[in-house]
Amino acid sequence: MKKFSRLSVVALSSAIALSGAGAVVVASPANAAACSGTVAIMAPLTGGVAFIGVQQAEFAKLAVADYNKKNGTSFITKDYDTQLDAAQASTQAPNIVADKTTIGIMGPAGSQEVLATGGLFGANDIAVVSPSATRTNLTAGTYPSFFRSVPNDSQQGPGDADFMVKNLKAKEITVIEEKTAYGTGLATEVMAQLKKLKVKATKYSVNEKNADYAALVTRVSKTSDFVFVTFQDAAKSESVAQELIKQKKKAVVFGSDGSDQPTFKTKGTYVSAFAPDIKGIPSSAAVIAGYKSTYNKTDADITTFGPPAYVAAQVIVEAAGRVCAAGKTADAKSTLAEIFKTKIAKSVLGGPIAFTDKGDVKGGRFYVFQTQADGSRKLVG
Amino acid sequence: MSYLGQQLVNGLTLGGVYALIALGYSLVYGVLQILNFAHGDVYMVGAFLGYFVELALGGPTKSIVPVPIMLFLMFAISMIGTGLLGIVIERFAYRPLRGSSRIAPLISALGVSILLQNAAQLIFSANIRSYDTSSFIPSTLGFSIGDVTIDSVRITVLILAFALMFALSRWVNKTQVGRAMRAIAIDRDAAVMMGIDIDKVIRWTFFVGAALAAAAGVMNGLLLRGVSSGMGFVPGLKGFTAAVIGGIGSIPGAMAGGLLLGVVESLTQGYLSTNFSDFYTFILLIAVMLLRPNGLFGKKAIVKA
Repeated sequence: MKKFSRLSVVALSSAIALSGAGAVVVASPANAAACSGTVAIMAPLTGGVAFIGVQQAEFAKLAVADYNKKNGTSFITKDYDTQLDAAQASTQAPNIVADKTTIGIMGPAGSQEVLATGGLFGANDIAVVSPSATRTNLTAGTYPSFFRSVPNDSQQGPGDADFMVKNLKAKEITVIEEKTAYGTGLATEVMAQLKKLKVKATKYSVNEKNADYAALVTRVSKTSDFVFVTFQDAAKSESVAQELIKQKKKAVVFGSDGSDQPTFKTKGTYVSAFAPDIKGIPSSAAVIAGYKSTYNKTDADITTFGPPAYVAAQVIVEAAGRVCAAGKTADAKSTLAEIFKTKIAKSVLGGPIAFTDKGDVKGGRFYVFQTQADGSRKLVG
Repeated sequence: MSYLGQQLVNGLTLGGVYALIALGYSLVYGVLQILNFAHGDVYMVGAFLGYFVELALGGPTKSIVPVPIMLFLMFAISMIGTGLLGIVIERFAYRPLRGSSRIAPLISALGVSILLQNAAQLIFSANIRSYDTSSFIPSTLGFSIGDVTIDSVRITVLILAFALMFALSRWVNKTQVGRAMRAIAIDRDAAVMMGIDIDKVIRWTFFVGAALAAAAGVMNGLLLRGVSSGMGFVPGLKGFTAAVIGGIGSIPGAMAGGLLLGVVESLTQGYLSTNFSDFYTFILLIAVMLLRPNGLFGKKAIVKA
């Protein structure tokens, strides 16, 4: 009996302690370590566009580390490689749902992956904050837990078309639509706007696996002023630009955000980007320095794909941190609810971050850059 | 007419690259009767080696040697290095499986393919590298016949592809190793009984096949620029298709299959559909298989009763 009583007391005390730990966790320095959870990183960490995914993952990890350091929290990240492939993303999605420590997802990178997994994450109340999926209808309401830290193609497509016609005085434009969820959606937006502007436009579709564009460039009209490309691999945009020169066509390549990588460097070409060059933003200097020292990188390694991933991860951990500060346990559902209330006064992208009720970033805009002789970009719109 | 001419130039250049890859498949199949599905990734390694030779020589804009010498070294070092890799692959992934079921080396080949891809990403990083060809060979350099333009890179690739194919034909037909290779392809047991060092010939086969793939990889880098760990899959598949169309195991067949595939791909993109050129390419493969099951240059196998 005596033994039973002693055990009962121990058990009762343990139960009280455990229930206390589970119910009341406040993100104060005293118990901030209890504010924890996993940020799932869905990115193409291997495969043909792994350079995008690796940079997104690095910036996302940096954001989580920065937040932990500042707030004494214990958030961690876990990598899920999607290879920018919808099928691979679908394979990984149940693993993320099964991990009950998941508080949100930074990613996926591609719109096709969101189309494949957004429903599952929505049904499980897991926030998905993509740093690069720009297809317009992702925020049409089908995926209630989807957010993005970048503007969408309803801003990019018409914006780019307007820029080519109104600013660059294009009379004839060729659109190369890569057959991906991203490329198709964007090309449709651009074609619709060009039709509105009454500009002659011809669209050619190409398979994602295509690598040689000589035959396609031969089809481009000699009177075409621009070739608008929707590739997600800038080496393809560069290949088209050089092939145009070789075949003595006057058209200049205008790449969408997928082309905003250092490999696209032909002088005089244009590219639109969903994020500014953060190297020109003084308040982002600490993040840049942190990135370079943590991952042994240089300025040249920082593309516009990384910083939005920093913001996406920051949105998730800040939301979870607010849950903890309110005295609750940060889980996926409570973090999702908090993400809608996101208000970052000045993000690493240089401006404030808040979301519409559909998950789009408020006040987002695209930036148009022109490539200079040394391969650098000059902001022109 | 000039449009057709331009598409033929595009197709022949592409076909030259496919033919060099196809030759590797055919050489190995001819000698060992195995499908070396790691061949596309060997091509990728060749492209990377060419890139790093270019960097070692000062990079595309600050080369420490004249451009022709840089190109020669890019091809030579890449071909030798990748050829040696071919020997290593044969020694560790295929030789232990000699005499086993036909499926075993196939699985081993797929394993080597994934291993090479991931090793390349680990060693060279995930970034897409660029040969930046236009920095040392201006895109405007070349000549025109009417409206058909042939730039200097295409000229280089075409000449080199045909030169390598010619050299391979001479090597197979005129050298002792080449004759031994043909003997093994016809009847391995008889070749062994005649005193042919079968291991030596197989080593040569893998070396030459991989070296040709490396040349194709460097050509791809010069033509299309992008070099990445995942770049080998599609060209590998196309090279294999070309080898099958030509008649796998046949050297002239691999050459003809590659050139035909490149031209068909270019013409379908030019006249039919830019999106479904692969569809027409594989329709061609099916048609050839139906009409000539052993490929255009393949011979019927004689099987002992």
